[in-house]
Amino acid sequence: MTQLTEITVALAGNPNCGKSSLFNALTGSHQKVGNFSGVTIEKYEGYVDFKGYRIRFVDLPGTYSLTAYSPEELVTRHYLAMEHPDIVVNVIEGPNLERNLLLTTQLMEMEVELLVALNMYDEVEAQGMEIDVKQLQQLLGCHIIPTSAKARQGLDRLLDHIVRVYSGEIQIRKNKLAFRPEIEDAVEAVQAELRHEPALDGRKYRWMALKLLENDREIYREVHQSPVWLKIERILQQAMETTGKLYQADPEILITEDRHALIRGTMEECVRMPEARKRSLTDYIDAVVLNRIIGLPVFFGVVWLIFHMTFTLGTPLMDALDQLFTSIALWVSPLLTNEMLRSVIVDGVIAGVGGVLVFLPNIILLFIGLSFLEASGYMARAAFVVDKVMHRFGLHGKSFIPMITGFGCSIPAIMATRTLKSPSDRLATIMIIPFMSCGAKLPVYVLLAGAFFPPAVAANVMFGIYMLGVLLGLLTALLLKSTILEKESEPFVMELPPYRWPTLSSVLFQSRVKAMMYLRKAGTVILLAVLLIWTASNFPKSAAIERDLALETARIEATVLDEEAKALELTAVENRASAAQLEYSMAGRTGKLIEPVIRPLGFDWRIGIALVTGLAAKEVVVSTMGTIYSLGDVDEEDTELKNILKHDPAFDQATALSLMVFVLLYIPCVAAIGVMKKEVGSWRPVLLYSSYALTVAWVFSFITYNVARLIL
Amino acid sequence: MRLSELQVGDKAEVTGLEVEGSVRRRLLDMGLISGTRFKVLRVAPLGDPVEIFFKGMYLSLRKSEAEGVLVSKQGRIGDSLPMGRQLYRRRKQGGVL
Repeated sequence: MTQLTEITVALAGNPNCGKSSLFNALTGSHQKVGNFSGVTIEKYEGYVDFKGYRIRFVDLPGTYSLTAYSPEELVTRHYLAMEHPDIVVNVIEGPNLERNLLLTTQLMEMEVELLVALNMYDEVEAQGMEIDVKQLQQLLGCHIIPTSAKARQGLDRLLDHIVRVYSGEIQIRKNKLAFRPEIEDAVEAVQAELRHEPALDGRKYRWMALKLLENDREIYREVHQSPVWLKIERILQQAMETTGKLYQADPEILITEDRHALIRGTMEECVRMPEARKRSLTDYIDAVVLNRIIGLPVFFGVVWLIFHMTFTLGTPLMDALDQLFTSIALWVSPLLTNEMLRSVIVDGVIAGVGGVLVFLPNIILLFIGLSFLEASGYMARAAFVVDKVMHRFGLHGKSFIPMITGFGCSIPAIMATRTLKSPSDRLATIMIIPFMSCGAKLPVYVLLAGAFFPPAVAANVMFGIYMLGVLLGLLTALLLKSTILEKESEPFVMELPPYRWPTLSSVLFQSRVKAMMYLRKAGTVILLAVLLIWTASNFPKSAAIERDLALETARIEATVLDEEAKALELTAVENRASAAQLEYSMAGRTGKLIEPVIRPLGFDWRIGIALVTGLAAKEVVVSTMGTIYSLGDVDEEDTELKNILKHDPAFDQATALSLMVFVLLYIPCVAAIGVMKKEVGSWRPVLLYSSYALTVAWVFSFITYNVARLIL
Repeated sequence: MRLSELQVGDKAEVTGLEVEGSVRRRLLDMGLISGTRFKVLRVAPLGDPVEIFFKGMYLSLRKSEAEGVLVSKQGRIGDSLPMGRQLYRRRKQGGVL
C-alpha cells in the first residue's frame, strides 16, 4: 500500500462537550492510549483514512479555558503551541454554545488553523434553539460544521473540511478579537518587545502578550529571564495603572469581560433561544437525585448497585473462564513429558495467570459502571452530594472522583489527583486512595467470600469490606489534615453537566482501555511474579524428602495389592511429600519467618507467602495461593481453588474475613508505590504511609479475626 | 449582598468578585462576570454546596466560594409569571402569599 499523507488534527473542547464520543465516532477502532509527555494525563490518539489522507486525531483533555491553573489546560496549551498540529477542531456543545465560545475565543487568540464542530446539533434542534450558522461563521471567521456524534451526522463533512483546509482549498481567515483600546495598546507594546527576543522566535507574540497581561504564570516563567522582561514589566505596570484609573479593574478582568462581551454580541446576532425555557430532563432528574432528603440514599444506592452488578453478572462469566483454564490445563498436561516443564507450565503459568485472568469480567463490568456514571453526568452530582462530608474530613468534593477511581485501580486514581490544586488536598487524597479497594483486590474477595459464604451473603461481605476501606480512608484523611498536613483547601466551583445517555462506544472504549491495562499487567508483571514464585516454592530441593518419597513409594508398590487402595495411598504419600518440599523451599522459609507475626491474625505460613508475593500485584495473592495449593493436589478434576480452600482445615470463615481485611488495608502493589513516589516527589511520605498501612492492617485484621471467631 | 446570602429560588445578578487567584480565574472562566444573571436552584442534601443556573449551565459552588461573589437580588423564580400562576406556585412552595 502506498504511504498516505498524514494530517494531524487536535480535538479541543470543554468537558462534557461530547468530544470523546465524536473522537470515537470518527476513528472507530483505530485508537491507542498513551500519556502526554511529562504528565500523567491520558492521551487518546486515533486515525481514519479519508480521500487519500490519513487523518490522525489527538483528543486533548477537556478544558473550559486556557489558563495555567490546571494541568489539563497546560497540556492543551503546550500541545497547541509546541507540537503544531495541522488543524485544531474545536468541539462545541451546541446547546451550551455561549459558555463554550469562551474556549473558542482563546483558541482564536492562539492563531491556530481552527475548525469548529458544532456538536450535539440534533439536541439544539430538538430544544427549539435556532443558530444562524452562516452568520456565526462570518463573525468568528472560521468554518463551522454542525455535527452529532450520536446520530453520526456531519462526520464526513467535518473530515472533508479538514482535508480541504489542509490542501489549501479553504483559507481560514483568523479574525482577531479586538479588545478595548487600552488593552490593545499594551498588547501592541509587549508584542514589539517580545519580537526582540531571539529565543522566542516563531512563537505567537500576540497570544503571549495577552497572557502576560492576564498574569499568566507559565508565560511569565518563560519570559522573565529574558533581557526584554524589564521593559515588558514596565508596560504591564503602566497598563495596570491606566485600567485601574479608567475602569477600577485590572487587565485580567477586562480581557475576560471583553471576551464575554464579544460572545454576548455574537449570541445576540446569531442565536434565537426558544421563547420559554421548558423544564429539561436534567431538571426533573435532579429534583429527585439531588433532593435534600433522598439525595444521599440515592447516592449510596447507585454505588451499591454498581458493586452488585459487578458481582452477580460477573460470577457466571468468571466460572466459564475458570472452566476454560481447567480444560486447557487438562489438555496441556499429557503433552508435556518433562516433569519439571509440566510443573512450570501447568502449576505455574496456567494456574497463576489463569487465576488472574478469570477476574477480567468483573473488572470490565466495574469499569462499564464507572464510565457510565462519568459519561451520564451523575459523577459530578455525586461530588456535589458528598462534598460537605468530604470537606469535613478535610478533603474536596473532587477528591471523591479519584477515590472512586481507586476502586478500579490505585494507579490512575493517584494520577487523577492532579486535578486537585492544593498540595495538601492532593497528598491527603493520594494517601487514602489505597484504602479504596482496587480492582486487583477484588479477586481476593471474590475467591474468599465466594468460598466461605453463600452468594447472597458474599455480596454483603464484599460491600462491607469496601465500606470499611472508605471509612478508614476518610478517618486517615482527617488524621493527616489535623496533624501533619496544612488545612488549606482548593476552591469548589464545578459544572453539573446536563444528563445525557452515554454513547455505547465511549463507555465500552473506556472499559476496554482498562481491561487492556489489566491484561498487560497479567502478561508481564504477574507472569514474572508467578514464575518467581514457582521457583521459590520448588527450590531448593530436599534430597531427604525425595529419598523418603522413593522409599515409601517402593514400599507401597511392594506391599499393597489392591489397585484402588494402592492409588489412594500413593496419592497421600505424594501430597505429604510435596507439602514437606514446599515447607523446605525458599518460599516456605520466608512464610515461616513471618508466621509468628501473622499467627494472631489467623494466618499460617502459606498465607504469609501469598501476602509477600502480593506486593508485586494484588491479584498475585490469588495466583500464589493457586500455585501453592495446587502443588499438593493431584485430583485433576478439582483444580478450583475455591473448593481446595473450603476443605482446608487451616481455613474458616474467620480466617477468610481477616485475610480480606488485611489485603484491603496493607501496602499497595509495587507499581502503585512507584506512582505514589513519583507524584509526591520523595520517599519519606511513602515510607511513612507504608508503615502506617501495615499497622492499620494488622490491628484491624486482629480485631476482625477475634470478633469473627466469637460470633461465627 | 453576597451569593452565599441568597435563598433557594432567588434570582440575582453578579455585580463583582471579591476573591483573588485561582478562585477568581475559575469564576471568571465559568462566566460569573458582572452582569451575569442567575437563579439559585438548590442546596446540596447536606447544606453545602449550592447550585446555581445561568446561560444554560448548572454550576455548583461551596458557600465559602459563594461568599466572594457580590450580587444584587432581582426577585424570585416565577416572578414573571402571570399573577394566578405565581399564587399557585407560592402556595405549592409553602410560601406566604
